[in-house]
Amino acid sequence: MSKAMRTTLKIVWVIGMMILVLFMLYPFIYSFLGALNTKTDFSNLGTLLPIPKKLVFRNFLYAFTKTGIPPLLNTFYRTSWYTFWNVLVAVLLGYVMARYEFKGKKLFLVFIICSQVVPSVLTMIPSFVMMSKIPFLGGNNWMGMGGHGLINNPLVLYLPFGWGALLWVFLFMQSMKSLPKDFEEAAEIDGCNFRLTLTKVILPMQKPILAVIAANTALGTWNDWFTPFMYINRIKDSTLPAYIGMLATSLQEMSGDRDFPKLFGLSCVSIIPPLLIFLFFQKYIIQGIASTGIKG
Amino acid sequence: MEVVGRQERILTRKQRQSRRAYAVILPFFFYISIWSLLPLVIGLLLGFTEFNALNGLPKWVGLDNFKTFFGSKDYIILLVRQVWMGGLCLIANVVLSFLLALALNIKHPLRGFFRTSVYIPNIAAAAITSGVFIALLNPFNGGLNMFFKSIGMEPIIWNYSQFWMVFWIMIFFVWRSVGPAAIIWLGGLQSIDASLYEAANVDGASKLQQVRYITIPGLRFISAYILLTGLIGVMQMFDVVMLISHGNPYGKTDVLMYRIYRDGVVSFNMGMAGAASTILGLVTVLIAFLAFKIISKGDKNE
Repeated sequence: MSKAMRTTLKIVWVIGMMILVLFMLYPFIYSFLGALNTKTDFSNLGTLLPIPKKLVFRNFLYAFTKTGIPPLLNTFYRTSWYTFWNVLVAVLLGYVMARYEFKGKKLFLVFIICSQVVPSVLTMIPSFVMMSKIPFLGGNNWMGMGGHGLINNPLVLYLPFGWGALLWVFLFMQSMKSLPKDFEEAAEIDGCNFRLTLTKVILPMQKPILAVIAANTALGTWNDWFTPFMYINRIKDSTLPAYIGMLATSLQEMSGDRDFPKLFGLSCVSIIPPLLIFLFFQKYIIQGIASTGIKG
Repeated sequence: MEVVGRQERILTRKQRQSRRAYAVILPFFFYISIWSLLPLVIGLLLGFTEFNALNGLPKWVGLDNFKTFFGSKDYIILLVRQVWMGGLCLIANVVLSFLLALALNIKHPLRGFFRTSVYIPNIAAAAITSGVFIALLNPFNGGLNMFFKSIGMEPIIWNYSQFWMVFWIMIFFVWRSVGPAAIIWLGGLQSIDASLYEAANVDGASKLQQVRYITIPGLRFISAYILLTGLIGVMQMFDVVMLISHGNPYGKTDVLMYRIYRDGVVSFNMGMAGAASTILGLVTVLIAFLAFKIISKGDKNE
């Protein structure tokens, strides 16, 4: 290949990728511009790029009104809660599984691997039934009768902890394999107990994998619009993405309040935290995707 | 004396280790099992009952729900549609993400930017971005039809055409998931030893031959992973359908998983939802197993 041809090819590649990037980012540009419109302006516009005639900013503020603040806060609480627990479980279980010898270890490992390929359809509806029949919660008696259990109960956003977390246990285990045992043995000789060995010796050396787990679970929990959507129908107890999901599914009905700019405004706000997480922890998120791909 | 003492210490140390391991692991496994393993068991039983989850106890009805499933055409059609619509989405995603990974595998200062950009659709929840598609596809004042009109083309009533709704579901699905798949492919591409390509260059192999004899065999594990996880994923795909088409026009883009969701969570027909879940789960496992067999058979022939 001649040099001229190579440069033309490079230029063609850059232009092609630019077009692709525009296509990938177009819906975000569209919703940002759409949110700057008023409702009537938007429905009269009908263009590929809804450039506003008159700028309005109040659509972005819906998330900070009386209806918007509780779901926004719930999303933050839920994301922090699950990020914390996922990291903790991954570290404790991953460390013990990687380093300790005990009976039944193989069985646990098989359980971890099998749990990752169980189709979620097998647990979706039964979980719903179980949540509604859980004893002692939501007005249920010890038989799980009489009330509605965790349905429409905000606790449903915090209590369940399924085997999705075991993926991170597996990842932490794998990452422990590349760490020589000498450090822990030295620490033990120096009189470190289990907790000290873990927090002072292991964790500082495993920071990258911790970042992988934390960033991925934070992103996943924030974006999990479906769980709150399925279990909770009061906006106050729901999360922001689930609230947007309620608005988005009601858009399908041709009648009713089809306030697109409001939806876009809320969407723009709710995408900021995941976007920040992604931009700051991009390396780790991509590493997580690639390593679950390669090792899994 | 000393030897015996040492042996004792080793033994107790081992015991201590396993005791501690159980103390750490068992509570978590127990808790996780409550939320995951228990529903799995409940699900297997649910299909044999009639139960509305609101009041009363489940009533054992034997195979009635399964008879309804296979007796009425509705469910079979939905199951078949789940397979072909999911299959279309999966194939489109696998092929396009592979091409994208090839395009991203070129060294250039802008590569990082491109990689970030194609990933971004995935960091927004499906519910957040579907509104844009609904606004664009509005048959009367949606951006696309207005654009068609302005360049003198007939507007298309997307919502009344099965073809176009499937097409847009596919676009939305691929738009969201092409980035992560491309990243996984890219990881695979970059893990192939570069010296193989150099050797091929020296031997005068063309680019196409290099792809055929170095790249594709080198990506066998990655492609098996992408295909199998993708397969399990699309067999349960319904959020995309729910958000883009609601199963319309006239239920022609409805899929079994969406029906299960509506049966269970909207109309509280838990028995039927449970039976359909069991069947869809078994079909998924069966298809994944067959795919795995085919892939590993291909391995042996190589």
